[in-house]
Amino acid sequence: MLSIVKRILGQMKNDKRSLGLLLFAPLLVLTLLFFILSDSSYVPKLAVYDMSEKFVAELENHATVSEETEKPEAADYLEDNEIDALIWSDSAGTHIELLEKNSKSAVALEAIQDTNKALQPTQKELIIDYVYESTGDNQLDSLSFVFLGVISFFFVFILSGMSFVRERFGQTLERMLMTPIRRIDVIGGYTLGYGLLAAVQSVVIILYAVYVLQLQVEGSVALCTLVMILMAFSAVSVGALVSIFANNELQLVQFIPVIIIPQIFFSGLIPIDTIPFGLGNLCYLTPIYYGCTALEMIMIQGKGVVEIWPWLAGSVVFIGVLFLANVTALKKYRRL
Amino acid sequence: MKIEVCEVNKSFKQQQVLNQISLTIAGGRIFCLLGASGSGKTTLLRIMMGAIPADGGSVTVGGIAVPNRQLLAEMGYMPQNEALYEELSAWENLKFFAGLQRQSRKTFAADAEALLEIVDMAACKNKLIRDCSGGMKKRISLAVALIHKPKLLVLDEPTVGVDPVLRRKIWLYLRQLRNEGTTIVVTTHVMDEVTQCDDAALLRNGHIIARDTVKNLIAQTPDGNIEELFFIDNQSEAEAPLC
Ligand SMILES: Nc1ncnc2c1ncn2[C@@H]1O[C@H](COP(=O)(O)OP(=O)(O)O)[C@@H](O)[C@H]1O
Ligand SMILES: [Mg+2]
Repeated sequence: MLSIVKRILGQMKNDKRSLGLLLFAPLLVLTLLFFILSDSSYVPKLAVYDMSEKFVAELENHATVSEETEKPEAADYLEDNEIDALIWSDSAGTHIELLEKNSKSAVALEAIQDTNKALQPTQKELIIDYVYESTGDNQLDSLSFVFLGVISFFFVFILSGMSFVRERFGQTLERMLMTPIRRIDVIGGYTLGYGLLAAVQSVVIILYAVYVLQLQVEGSVALCTLVMILMAFSAVSVGALVSIFANNELQLVQFIPVIIIPQIFFSGLIPIDTIPFGLGNLCYLTPIYYGCTALEMIMIQGKGVVEIWPWLAGSVVFIGVLFLANVTALKKYRRL
Repeated sequence: MKIEVCEVNKSFKQQQVLNQISLTIAGGRIFCLLGASGSGKTTLLRIMMGAIPADGGSVTVGGIAVPNRQLLAEMGYMPQNEALYEELSAWENLKFFAGLQRQSRKTFAADAEALLEIVDMAACKNKLIRDCSGGMKKRISLAVALIHKPKLLVLDEPTVGVDPVLRRKIWLYLRQLRNEGTTIVVTTHVMDEVTQCDDAALLRNGHIIARDTVKNLIAQTPDGNIEELFFIDNQSEAEAPLC
């Protein structure tokens, strides 16, 4: 088993490009994502009706403001004039009407809240209304952990799947199995070898996300890393298993949409409870679900081991099942 | 190590590749399996080593039924493809497979040097396989099959793409191994290599159509060209030996 681990690390050492892709490509994608999502330069367009001059003056520091002399009907008005939010007040409080929950609304609300903060003390309550109510939670928050999980899974899956396809068709697997090595050692060595590489990748990604991109992590960074490493191990096993069904490298790539994309659906991007026909239960079949749920609980809800252990256990069970499946699949090349 | 193949059948889906093959390969000799490409040579080798199961019949190697894991330690196998890791050097490939064979670390370096000398690869032992030519890969692959000094050597088309001078050198070495007691099974579709072997069998349409010592086979042909045997129709197809 150790020979295989050493061999895999040796192969990687001589294949600098793959190593570079494994370690730096996820960082590149994350960085890009970070800038796309942060969207900090956007100035929201707000409309006010019958608000105090002081409020309008302060708001103009945060947004483009247009003042209406008549109270417009929010639905049509917002859409027709491409305004992000309409603000007016009555005895109940300050009303804010927005079109729907999205990143622009989030920026608009932030501007209004900043204004309120600047004008302390606020007497009036903020009453927020959306024209189109959506059930989604704040998507901005969820994206960070989803992509952290998915990106790492994706790169590791390709790496291990590809190298296993090549082992099959280059007949190195056949040659390996014509030595007295046990099948369990072949899969064990494989999982451990690529798992180690994947673990290094996980650590790099987490450190980069937390310390360079300054991603908010409520809970423990070490626990996040552990979850990422478990997810990486399952990615190695899924890659090896899927490679059985691929006859060449191209077919493995064709499996990506089948294997990866559905997992993204269950990664927390869409709340599982809202998925109809009980399809949400499929999430238990996807390793990304266990990893991303745990990541969400740590990074956003600040939970610890006590609360997330079922998902950690889920990951471990998943890795175990895949491991046995892979050991059994090798019977095709040697019966014992 | 004596190999006994008894009434082996093998089909892939509808295609029957091997049909009631019975064959005895004597220990300590070089045996050649001759047949056109696609005639089932590789399939028969795989069944002999216990890699894939036969549909019926049995195989024993040295009196032990395959598959058997202990037996694999005594076998050296060179697959038809190069079966080497592209991102490792010749030396690292040798080391990896020697490790799987649990070869002692102390003798490895000396053994590997000697083997690379024989296949004429000592000069580029640290070159990555991906930078080697087809013939070089073939030679390294042979060295890998030999690294643990197997008692039974199974070589699937070992000299394809190797130049004539080196080919002679390799055969010389194989005959030396035979003299030291190694049993060697080779497949080929190149007729002139048969003369290097002790015994040979001709495989066609899933049947062994001829099986004898090379000397006798040559004597059967009008002009000493074994290739002729493939054109002599249905010679002895019916009378496969029972065991
Ligand atoms: N795993 C397999 N699945 C389906 N067909 C196979 C498989 N292996 C070999 N064959 C078929 O069996 C026949 C013999 O193949 P093979 O033993 O590789 O021939 P040779 O080594 O003599 O060139 C070929 O027609 C090949 O297509
Ligand atoms: Mg073949």
